[in-house]
Amino acid sequence: MATLAPPRPKNYDDTFFKPISLWLTTTDHKLIGIMYMTTGMLAFVIGGVFALVMRVQLSQPNEKVIDASTYNQLVSAHGTTMIFFFATIFMTGVANYFVPLMIGARDMAFPRLNLLGFWLLPFSIIAYFIGFFVPGGALSAGWTGYPPLTEKAFSTSLGTDLWAFSLIIWALSGIMASTNFLTTVVALRAPGMTLTRMPLFVWAQISTSVLLLAVGAPLAGGLVMLELDRQFGTNFFTTQGRPVLYQHLFWFFGHPEVYIMILPGFGIISEIIPVFARKPIFGYASMVAALFGILFLSVAVWAHHMFTVGMNVYVETFFMVMTMLIAVPTGIKFFNWIATAWGGSIDFQLPMKFAFGFMATFLIGGITGIYLSSVPVDTQLHQSYYVVAHLHYVLFGGTVMTIFAGVYYWFPKITGRMLNKTLGEWHFWTVFLGFNGTFLVMHTLGLEGMPRRIVTYPGGFGEEGWGATNTFITLTSFFVAISVLIFLYNLVISWKRGEVAGDDPWGGNTLEWATTSPPPPYNFERVPPVRSHMPLRDLRAEGRIGQGEATKQTVEAPAAGT
Amino acid sequence: MPGRVGVCRRLLFALLLGVAAAALATPAFALGGSGLRPTVPDGVSENGHRIYDLYTYLISPFGIFVFVLVEALLLIIILRFRRSRQRPDYQPPQWHGNRWLEIGWTVIPFLILVVIGAFSFIELQRDFVRPADSVTDLDITVSAHQFGWTYYYPEGFKVNSEGLQATPLVIPTGKLVRMRMQSTDVIHSYWVPDLTGKTDTVPGYDNYMWYKVSQPGKWRGECAELCGTGHYTMQILVQAMTPDDYQAWVSDQVAKAKPSPSASPSSAAGAASPSPSASPGASASPSPSGSPSPSASPSP
Repeated sequence: MATLAPPRPKNYDDTFFKPISLWLTTTDHKLIGIMYMTTGMLAFVIGGVFALVMRVQLSQPNEKVIDASTYNQLVSAHGTTMIFFFATIFMTGVANYFVPLMIGARDMAFPRLNLLGFWLLPFSIIAYFIGFFVPGGALSAGWTGYPPLTEKAFSTSLGTDLWAFSLIIWALSGIMASTNFLTTVVALRAPGMTLTRMPLFVWAQISTSVLLLAVGAPLAGGLVMLELDRQFGTNFFTTQGRPVLYQHLFWFFGHPEVYIMILPGFGIISEIIPVFARKPIFGYASMVAALFGILFLSVAVWAHHMFTVGMNVYVETFFMVMTMLIAVPTGIKFFNWIATAWGGSIDFQLPMKFAFGFMATFLIGGITGIYLSSVPVDTQLHQSYYVVAHLHYVLFGGTVMTIFAGVYYWFPKITGRMLNKTLGEWHFWTVFLGFNGTFLVMHTLGLEGMPRRIVTYPGGFGEEGWGATNTFITLTSFFVAISVLIFLYNLVISWKRGEVAGDDPWGGNTLEWATTSPPPPYNFERVPPVRSHMPLRDLRAEGRIGQGEATKQTVEAPAAGT
Repeated sequence: MPGRVGVCRRLLFALLLGVAAAALATPAFALGGSGLRPTVPDGVSENGHRIYDLYTYLISPFGIFVFVLVEALLLIIILRFRRSRQRPDYQPPQWHGNRWLEIGWTVIPFLILVVIGAFSFIELQRDFVRPADSVTDLDITVSAHQFGWTYYYPEGFKVNSEGLQATPLVIPTGKLVRMRMQSTDVIHSYWVPDLTGKTDTVPGYDNYMWYKVSQPGKWRGECAELCGTGHYTMQILVQAMTPDDYQAWVSDQVAKAKPSPSASPSSAAGAASPSPSASPGASASPSPSGSPSPSASPSP
């Protein structure tokens, strides 16, 4: 296959090699989705480079690769880039591409709002990165930006203002996207697609959008108050005011943000496992209920990030209990996935491999979350490398692994071509081993007493014992970097010369597989009938379509967008 | 189809999970200091020790149980339900759910969490409610600043601990020490892992931490809340002495402090009320403003 480049699928050139003016002005949710995902992937690479520089700095006691000021900027930039500019944006891109397709719609409900929402992001991202080129540098107080350290008295640099401005714009963009998703799902579902027949990825995107709609404004509000302090001399969060109030506002956004990043990933896994196990999802209703359980609990747990600021013990107890309760709906999802795969006829293609890699690693993040939720134990673990390990198990073992699973699953639909399998295997094993090598032993560093966000551990009091563990972590972190390079290379060459996928390479269950790959600008010539949450499987069972040829249905599409 | 490569991969995967399980299940033997400590440090104070107990004997058994159970289920699925190992005509059962199973894996995790939550709450009640003045043996005020700590003793002298060359906080063994935690600039966090959990120092109000150390010794710690470029230099040393040695050390310090009374804080009221609010302002802090200290502590 390698020598003989197969012919490009129909529509391929039409979709992907348009002039730049089309990319700048398109309202097609698919092209906007691709732009979101590309932006996210760029941010992932940049944030990863920041992480590698920090790992090199931490590899030895008393290392002096970069100074403390640079390190503090990088530690803030890594968090800001990965959380705001990579994970959230990439997931928004996936949803932008697939929510309308999965519900049989022609586009999003507000295509021009979609366009505006995306094009706010370059301003947000560029504003933040300009911070590195102003005197004093970018934000250097961690991605959480706690005052009073971010107040004028302690951070004079314009970089801090640029960071606040950037995130306010980002929140605005997120609110636009969320509104759009919710309206689309409410108003534009195909005939027959009742709420209980929606794919679980769409349900996941609904809960994500509700969350972002609820918590985006408090983030922006907190940052506006911070800017009032910095620019107009108010005293909301200064040493004369109440610095802890900022923490409440920030984490009221910040904790749900974790679920904004992971719930779409849960949706992706819920789509992938049934397809590759050839079984329906186990407990559809309890999966949806669990999503909403997580949604409601997640806005009542924020102060578990603040167990050491000196709160009343009964307040702490409330947040401890709510935090522990989140494990219940998450556990329901886990066991439902396991029951879905149990007894199946499982084809371990790459999407399924990543889905299992996700479950094997995310589980560890969930269990360490229980340790952290217990207030007494948290006073030891808080702000240590244990937390760094925990949050990477949740966000890398969770969000990033589900993103990889989703990319392998939907790349054929987006480009019409399969991702290379050999490179994919290399990617999976390097990232699985590299990730666990990097973050598993990081727990023990936290238990040793190594705080996060320190530029170095000078030694003299016993901290030099951390050196060997840190060296190991730095070495394995480069496995992760190599895996990402393999992945990016695979994306590029498979997009150019990959094996032609056909419309439905996996035998999918949901509507996006009922159109061509890549889909035409209007998505569907005919929308198939929807009689369950697996409309394509129904058609296949009735013998109306065969494997891999999903476009021969006989039902008329509804008039556009009604 | 699976062939040797497939078997290798499965074995590799199993090995990896085994390593992960072993890492979580490693008993709490002395790996401390090596960078591979499997649990939180066993605190030399009672409250620190009980945090260790919660981590090691309450949460870890449940955590290891859930970890082993779920990873084992995943492994069984990977090994048993591959299409390549099944008969070509195998039709997977089309289950859509099972009410009792679903109720089961809702209720059982809930019950586990009730147990963990209940014991955590008991520990909160016992060790996280500020001890009364009457039971407190020694009151020390800790004032944090960029980048160091100042300890104000009730006898009227203070100890400055600046940067990497930390000066120890000296405490007597067998006495309940209560520390009033303050900051004159940004938020810091006082963390000596071998002693007990950390406590933030926040400008604007006082926090408290307390402990009773059973044995003499010297332990390290450092600031745990990013506080600026010198964050990593905010090292902490704590030295516990027998009460006799401690008294000797105090007399020594008082004698040293006498020649320059201006440096001593206004604390003369003794152990019960060290009136620390004025003292941080007198420290050599780069802060633009002293702490107003409204003494409206959020701790009950």
